[in-house]
Amino acid sequence: MTRSERVSPRRPVAARGLRPAMWLPLVVMLVVLGAAWTWGAQRFPYLLPPLRGVGATLTGSPAYYLKNAGVTLEEALGGLAIGFVAAFAVGVLISELPVARRAVLPVAVVLNVTPIVAIAPTLVVAFGFGPAPKIVITALICFFPILINTATGLRSVPPQILQVYQSIAASRLEVLAYLRVPSALPFIFAALRIAFPLSVTGAVVAELTAAGSAAGLGTVISNASSMNQLAVVYAAILVLAVMGTLLLLLVTIIERRALRWHDSSAQS
Amino acid sequence: MDGAVRAAAIEVSGVRKAYGEPPSVTVALDDVSLAVAAGSFVSLIGPSGCGKSTLLRLAAGLEAPDHGTVRVHGVAPREAAAAKLIGLVPQSPALLPWLSVLKNVTLPRKVNQGAGKRRARFGDLGAGRPPADPMDLLRRVGLGDVAHKLPAELSGGMAQRAAIVRALGLRPDVLLMDEPFSALDELTRESLQGQLLDLWGELKTTVLFVTHSIAEAVRMSDVVVVMGSPGRVLDSVPIGLPRPRDPGLLGDPRFHGYEDQVRVSLRHAWSATDDA
Ligand SMILES: Nc1ncnc2c1ncn2[C@@H]1O[C@H](COP(=O)(O)OP(=O)(O)OP(=O)(O)O)[C@@H](O)[C@H]1O
Ligand SMILES: [Mg+2]
Repeated sequence: MTRSERVSPRRPVAARGLRPAMWLPLVVMLVVLGAAWTWGAQRFPYLLPPLRGVGATLTGSPAYYLKNAGVTLEEALGGLAIGFVAAFAVGVLISELPVARRAVLPVAVVLNVTPIVAIAPTLVVAFGFGPAPKIVITALICFFPILINTATGLRSVPPQILQVYQSIAASRLEVLAYLRVPSALPFIFAALRIAFPLSVTGAVVAELTAAGSAAGLGTVISNASSMNQLAVVYAAILVLAVMGTLLLLLVTIIERRALRWHDSSAQS
Repeated sequence: MDGAVRAAAIEVSGVRKAYGEPPSVTVALDDVSLAVAAGSFVSLIGPSGCGKSTLLRLAAGLEAPDHGTVRVHGVAPREAAAAKLIGLVPQSPALLPWLSVLKNVTLPRKVNQGAGKRRARFGDLGAGRPPADPMDLLRRVGLGDVAHKLPAELSGGMAQRAAIVRALGLRPDVLLMDEPFSALDELTRESLQGQLLDLWGELKTTVLFVTHSIAEAVRMSDVVVVMGSPGRVLDSVPIGLPRPRDPGLLGDPRFHGYEDQVRVSLRHAWSATDDA
């Protein structure tokens, strides 16, 4: 059974998805969580809103949540796109030039361990209350995991393959295009699976910390919690969770299509 | 050209190659000289670590010697590589997992497209030869049906055949092979040896072939070069068996005679290693 799963993962998974053994555990889990929530909401009304309240605010003003979700999503994807392009370019640079690697990597590592959100207030001063500072923060947060994985992936071509192409004098550009970039794709997708949800986190945290934000789910959360509207806070959080999940799903689907040849995508 | 003055396709003279920094230097090759006649099939055999792969890398222009010279058709290996005169078959098939077998075999045509002009300088070596049809070559070695499959779907023997076709597809004048069959079972190995000999007889390339198998070296080669540690050429055994060399030859007493001759040389190589 494990063998056939590995060889052709898609169809069997879909077929098994309909069997109670596959969906029942999750349903039970959700019921238990819902019950625990309801109990908790009665016990600690200042911590958890009743589920009905969350549902009511979501169905009552869907346009409000959609609009703010759109703002956050734009910030997240904008930041991710900028971070990706920058990280990919720097990744190529440091994998081709050892000098650049020695110069850039230590700085990137330090940047990564620095709490980027701490500079959010400064960025607001520089870029204003609009989406710009959030995009900058999101880009900075997404930059590092993509950079590291791109650089690692570009250098992951087995030496014997490189030797075959060096023995016919393939240029560095040809080696990059035909060997290194395709080899790096699984690594880059692994980074994107982290970076897509991370970009949402980055945008929300930026909204929370950049005082005076105009819109976005993070702003909704901070405004609602200052007015003690717990249901609104949790409704926004729920929308964020759904958004992150959808983004993750999107990456996974693209990865499945792009990396059909790759074992790890067939096994996951 | 007559045999006596046949030009050397690969000429190694006084080559030394060491790895590592002074306190822990490994001498991979020590004053190695070797000439491989154009169109001949020469095997390198010797104990593990005696520098066979290193010699192949030098001939492919992947590394430079510390002392001495390596020449491929009279020029530095890098120049020969730039003219695509060299084909390399490494120990593992080294196929790109995201490309089909056919695309793996044809990718070398796409890279370094300036090679054709450079090749013309070498006269009749390459200019007169059209590149072989890759699909035809694949069919010849029994890979016609799997040409559109990914490497992961192939057996080890099939993958290794694909790697050989990839190297031969460019009609290289010098084919460098590093233990290409060592990971295969005995019967697959014998059949691939036969296929390689057929292709070689037809494409007329020069072959420098590293192996650990005495029988394989004797069956395939015009000359078996025996190496010993640290990095020396100890002996050179010409194999006077007629061609084509079918598997039936493996039972021939002359075949065993050559095997014994190589084995005796190898014993010396091993005892020299023990002394060191
Ligand atoms: N890149 C390298 N760095 C350091 N040492 C090396 C390197 N390449 C080879 N050597 C050393 O040079 C010596 C010769 O290695 P080489 O791989 O040429 O041997 P070989 O004859 O091909 O052995 P085998 O039969 O096991 O493949 C070995 O001692 C090896 O450790
Ligand atoms: Mg070796």
